[in-house]
Amino acid sequence: MMNNFPPGFVMIIGALLIPFLPHIIRQIYMLVLILTSAYALTLGFGIHTKITLMDFEFILFQSDPLTLPFAIIFHVAAVLNVMYGSHVKLWNQHMAIMSYSGAAIAAVHAGDLFTLFVWWEATAITSVFLIFAGKTKRSYGAAFRYLIVQIGSGMFLLAGAILLMSETGNAEFRNFDINSLYGQLIFIAFGIKAAFPLLNGWLQDSYPEASEIGTVALSVFTTKLAIFCFAKSFAGTEILILIGVIMTFFPMFFSIIENDLRRVLTYCLNSQLGFMIVAIGIGTELAINGAVAHAIVHILYKGLLFMGMGAVLYRTSTCKASELGGLFKYMPITAICTIIASVSLSAFPLFSGFVTKTLILSALGKEGLVFAYFMLLFSSAGVLIYSGIRVPFFAFFANERKIKSKEAPLNMIIAMISASILCILIGILPSYFYNILPHQIHYQPYDFSHIVGQIQLLGFSALAFICLWHFKIYPSEINSTILNSDWIYRKMLPGVCLPLLDLVKNLNQKFYKFLEYLFVTIKNIFANTMIKNKVFDREVGQDTLIVVQLFIVILILIFMWKIYF
Amino acid sequence: MKYLINKIGKINASVLFVCIIFLILELIGHRHGETSIEDILFFPAIFGFLSCIIIFGIAISLRSLFMKDEDYYDE
Repeated sequence: MMNNFPPGFVMIIGALLIPFLPHIIRQIYMLVLILTSAYALTLGFGIHTKITLMDFEFILFQSDPLTLPFAIIFHVAAVLNVMYGSHVKLWNQHMAIMSYSGAAIAAVHAGDLFTLFVWWEATAITSVFLIFAGKTKRSYGAAFRYLIVQIGSGMFLLAGAILLMSETGNAEFRNFDINSLYGQLIFIAFGIKAAFPLLNGWLQDSYPEASEIGTVALSVFTTKLAIFCFAKSFAGTEILILIGVIMTFFPMFFSIIENDLRRVLTYCLNSQLGFMIVAIGIGTELAINGAVAHAIVHILYKGLLFMGMGAVLYRTSTCKASELGGLFKYMPITAICTIIASVSLSAFPLFSGFVTKTLILSALGKEGLVFAYFMLLFSSAGVLIYSGIRVPFFAFFANERKIKSKEAPLNMIIAMISASILCILIGILPSYFYNILPHQIHYQPYDFSHIVGQIQLLGFSALAFICLWHFKIYPSEINSTILNSDWIYRKMLPGVCLPLLDLVKNLNQKFYKFLEYLFVTIKNIFANTMIKNKVFDREVGQDTLIVVQLFIVILILIFMWKIYF
Repeated sequence: MKYLINKIGKINASVLFVCIIFLILELIGHRHGETSIEDILFFPAIFGFLSCIIIFGIAISLRSLFMKDEDYYDE
């Protein structure tokens, strides 16, 4: 029976006990929950659990070659999250993270859209507490906006599922046609969660406002769940290539001028999601493998980067480039782990990013998509300057400031070192890593051309950064807010709608005044006719009324007499 | 050599050193890319350097458009 429990479900149910356990036992209990959930992955491929409710068959647990890699990495990330957050003694964030991870894992194994919808909304509702845990005025605002956007995306999914159900008679979670209305609705739902261009505001708005352990958890699940859904439902949809290219391209510029280092990482996350979306748009076996592989390593190195910045935030209470610098001597292990993550992100040979990015680029090259190829190459070069060098450089090296701090807590260090080891292992032994991907492929990332090309590309990008810094062209960091697409609903819509609302209010008031005037006038006209010796003189009126009443009574009597006799 | 290291620092000098080594490696072996344009000599190096300068240039010019006060949304 335990076997047929959908993975993740155990974690959600088990999370209910978390508030009642003392600190250390709770941490062990959470690890046990994750292992129990992971045990269900040994069942193999196929449909394992169904329930029938209201004549509808909900497929709760379905696994195939695409779900397995995502399930594995989500479980690994959940374990890393538990380790990373062990210093937090309050239960509320642990409960949120555990149920959030569980919901995301359960969503991956959903076999129909209604089950997916339930877990889809569950990820939103559970994760919003991590943003509330930021405990600032800004984080409260961001959390509400996050919740509205996420729930909204779920509504699109539900609408698409209902349409699909009414058109085809089933709501199986499968490949969808983008040309149908239900396909488009589902596409938008996934697109919001995957932070498509102009739909990405929530990502940069909310993640950096969460608590230090919350951001690490958030960076793993929500967006990668959307990537999984795209890979499952829209593989080979050509429009995704264009969207993906725009996604990789635009966040770079915002990332460079952003001051909050955790926000820099969210822009970078957005850009890397673009790589995966492009790969899904290509849709070949090599490309899908590239997308899945990139999602997996991205969870690891981006989680590691957020862990590093979380440690800095925990120790110094700030994550702003303009206030940080010179922390290497206080936090050397955190710094080294962050550098390993940055090097993986930049796709240096022997690190994890390299073995997945080359997959995607090769897939593009093979399909002859030259424009997209060069745009992605452009982003690959740029990633070094906007995130790879910038984040560790401004946190740990540039500008000696008077901030003094201690090294991160032991549990954070263990989590960071574990993630670093995984990043390096995947980079060194790609063939083992490729075995868990959905399609069996024989691909060799380490050949002379790839290595020389990539190191030249990155080396000279680094050189460009060094030149800009050395010749003092690189401007100093300024405390600022960078406008993003959330500006549309935070400033523009209120800016346009509030005056409109005032106008409507004014018009409304004027209309009521006019109505009041109209009624008063009509009343006066009638009143004037009712005074003595006028047409509707009241005394005459009363006599008339008695006559009319008598007439009605007589009519009723006649009517009844007609019926009964 | 020592003058260079003193002038630009150890890390920067080692980056420069790696860059030069991989330029020389390209001359020794045969590097080919996914597309024919990439087969031009030192293409990744030139592409990488120029990309970064371009990205940086565009980003800095966007500052005036998108950069607002820190408490822009709090007002």
